[in-house]
Amino acid sequence: MAPAKVPPGHFPILYFAAAASFTGKSTEHLAAPLPLGRLFATLDEKYPGIRQKVLDSCAVTVNLAYVDMEGEEAADQKLVIQEGDEVAIIPPVSSG
Amino acid sequence: MSTTEPSTYTPSIPSNPITRTTPTIHIELTPHPLNPSHATHFVRSPSAGATVLFIGTTRDNFNDLPVASLAYTSYTPLAMATLYSIAEHMLQKHSLVKIAIVHKLGECPVGEESIVIAVSAAHRREAWRAGEEALEETKRRVEIWKLERFVGGEGVWRANRDGVMGRRVEEEGEGEGEGGKEG
Repeated sequence: MAPAKVPPGHFPILYFAAAASFTGKSTEHLAAPLPLGRLFATLDEKYPGIRQKVLDSCAVTVNLAYVDMEGEEAADQKLVIQEGDEVAIIPPVSSG
Repeated sequence: MSTTEPSTYTPSIPSNPITRTTPTIHIELTPHPLNPSHATHFVRSPSAGATVLFIGTTRDNFNDLPVASLAYTSYTPLAMATLYSIAEHMLQKHSLVKIAIVHKLGECPVGEESIVIAVSAAHRREAWRAGEEALEETKRRVEIWKLERFVGGEGVWRANRDGVMGRRVEEEGEGEGEGGKEG
């Protein structure tokens, strides 16, 4: 699922469900390091409208752990995505 | 949240079942048809007086719109971890003997099983409760997404928490969604 080879200075980002539909891809590489607080803005520059239409109702994981994207004082807003970190955009789930 | 999807979209899915099994927990994500009797057999135990089996099957309509087909995709490593943590929690909270949760990935024809949950406990009360809670927790948390394709139309990514096609979700936990199927 994650791309086999990540170029130096980049991190893989995975898109699922509505996020994959909007970007038209399931994965790609973005430049690292990237402050977590800049992630949604970066994606919205690349895919205009994705923030309002998709990302605002999505969660985010970094290396399979959920990070807090809400609130300015959230500790995770200081987190910086590093080279090789696996980031995923998690839309509302629909199993069952 | 749901967004429209061209009918040609094909989510990538593993070609073989992904499983995690301990003596008391069996978790599986599989592209193959589900076999409820396997789950029942796994949880059978001489110390259990009650086994509860839930089978969720895909429904042929959503709000009276005919559903042609459904497909499930997942963030597999995270979905496996979440399923396992739900199973562990149910085992402890309801004093279960064993628990099995199996979910379909990829195409799931209408009317076929998409999820199977089997739990066993010493007595029926724990088994009933754990079976229901395991399903609700799975639907709420596990990183699996359902794509519904309507007859003669596009596909829609369902979200369990809204349950209304095309509606944006403003607040977490608002409303209880049911799309396209009973599970």
